[in-house]
Amino acid sequence: MNTTARILIPVLLVSVATLTTRVALANTPTIRLFPTTVVEDLRQTGNVARDMETGLQEVIGQLDQQQELYHESKCDGAEDDSGCQRLARQIGASYLEMLTIMDERLPDMEHTVNNTRLSLEKGLRNELGRKMTPWTLQETLIGSDANKTVSKSSPTLRGRSGMRLSERFNQYYQLVATSGAKGDQSLAVLASDIYLDMEETSLLIQRTRQEIARATLMEQLNQSFGIITPEMIEVVGGVKSILFGDEEGQALVAGPPPGSVEQAYRSPLEQ
Amino acid sequence: MKSNASRNPLLIVAGLIATALFIASCASTAPTCAAPQSKNLNSAISTTQSSLLEGCHAHFDRYYDDLLTIAEGDPKPENKREFSQFLVWSTDKGLLSNRQAEDYYNRFFNVKFMSLKGDYNNCSHTCPNKQKVLFDMERELSEKERGLLKVSLDNEGYYRADQLYQEVELVLEATCTACSASR
Repeated sequence: MNTTARILIPVLLVSVATLTTRVALANTPTIRLFPTTVVEDLRQTGNVARDMETGLQEVIGQLDQQQELYHESKCDGAEDDSGCQRLARQIGASYLEMLTIMDERLPDMEHTVNNTRLSLEKGLRNELGRKMTPWTLQETLIGSDANKTVSKSSPTLRGRSGMRLSERFNQYYQLVATSGAKGDQSLAVLASDIYLDMEETSLLIQRTRQEIARATLMEQLNQSFGIITPEMIEVVGGVKSILFGDEEGQALVAGPPPGSVEQAYRSPLEQ
Repeated sequence: MKSNASRNPLLIVAGLIATALFIASCASTAPTCAAPQSKNLNSAISTTQSSLLEGCHAHFDRYYDDLLTIAEGDPKPENKREFSQFLVWSTDKGLLSNRQAEDYYNRFFNVKFMSLKGDYNNCSHTCPNKQKVLFDMERELSEKERGLLKVSLDNEGYYRADQLYQEVELVLEATCTACSASR
């Protein structure tokens, strides 16, 4: 009887402890930052961006060729030449076509971007803003083990120039769609990153739409004179860098040198 | 009457001498609170402990800083334990409260930021003071650089703290924008 008890009691204690740990883990509140609507919005924004890119790729290619021809024909400074005027009008027409395509596609884009932004905004405000103190936020970010190895695969997300807009949303979608396996710490960073990006994109779309109306009117006027304005070249450059990425703007992020020392010690004072 | 008058100056002189001797004896026993001279952390901690018990506890901050400097001269992972034991000893002797000891330890040797201690939610308390919170975190990060990296050779710990700082900065920026959007 005594021997059986001696064997059984530790086994029972271990089982109870394991069960308690599992229940405690199961009851750990998870943060809800990505409802299914956000995932769907991200996918849709990616599709809209791809459509816009496809539509614009041809006209932007055409613009590049026309500008090259204009420069090769030494039209800079020879604006009175009739051939150069004809070239300038062709460039202006392509420019107008680009603005029209953007004007048609941007409302859809604005709609899906705003939907994503608003869903994330609500989640961030409720889950991280109102339900958490700075200390609990820190504990969420750091995860269960503060001393864990710095993840080398964790994405550094801010500053995504050099990447196509549709690829950017596609990457967001992939990250969110596969985020189930990751902890809350990655979700909080990911949600914050996407939200801030959506804020910027939303503002950019608003400004672009206002600018398109003005630029269209200006170009319609310029068409009668056959003038290429520096503003036109700048706008085309801007659109290209937003849609197709800007290689020069790649942000370099230095990785930390690998730690080599085992850290087994935990102080009783540690929090 | 005359004998009283002649005796009084003698009494005064004797009194003055006694007072001077008393003051001199006091001055010689006052603690000097000098910085530990040894370059060995263990013996520096022992010297510091003696000084603290002899009435130098008002200089605790300076002693802690001196010990960190000595430990920087011989960095190793075990230093973390030495500092922890020294702080636990300080609480046992009543020189520090538990909270103070935790603060001294965690600011230098833990990945987590003590600057993020707070009982109120982020929207109501952290966001209005975001700049100050980030400034305090930045200062604490340099303390962690000293404690984790230069004293304990805990590279991973320090780089995790650095990454945590950047994550908090990003998440607070987004959260505070979301909080202010509802107003």
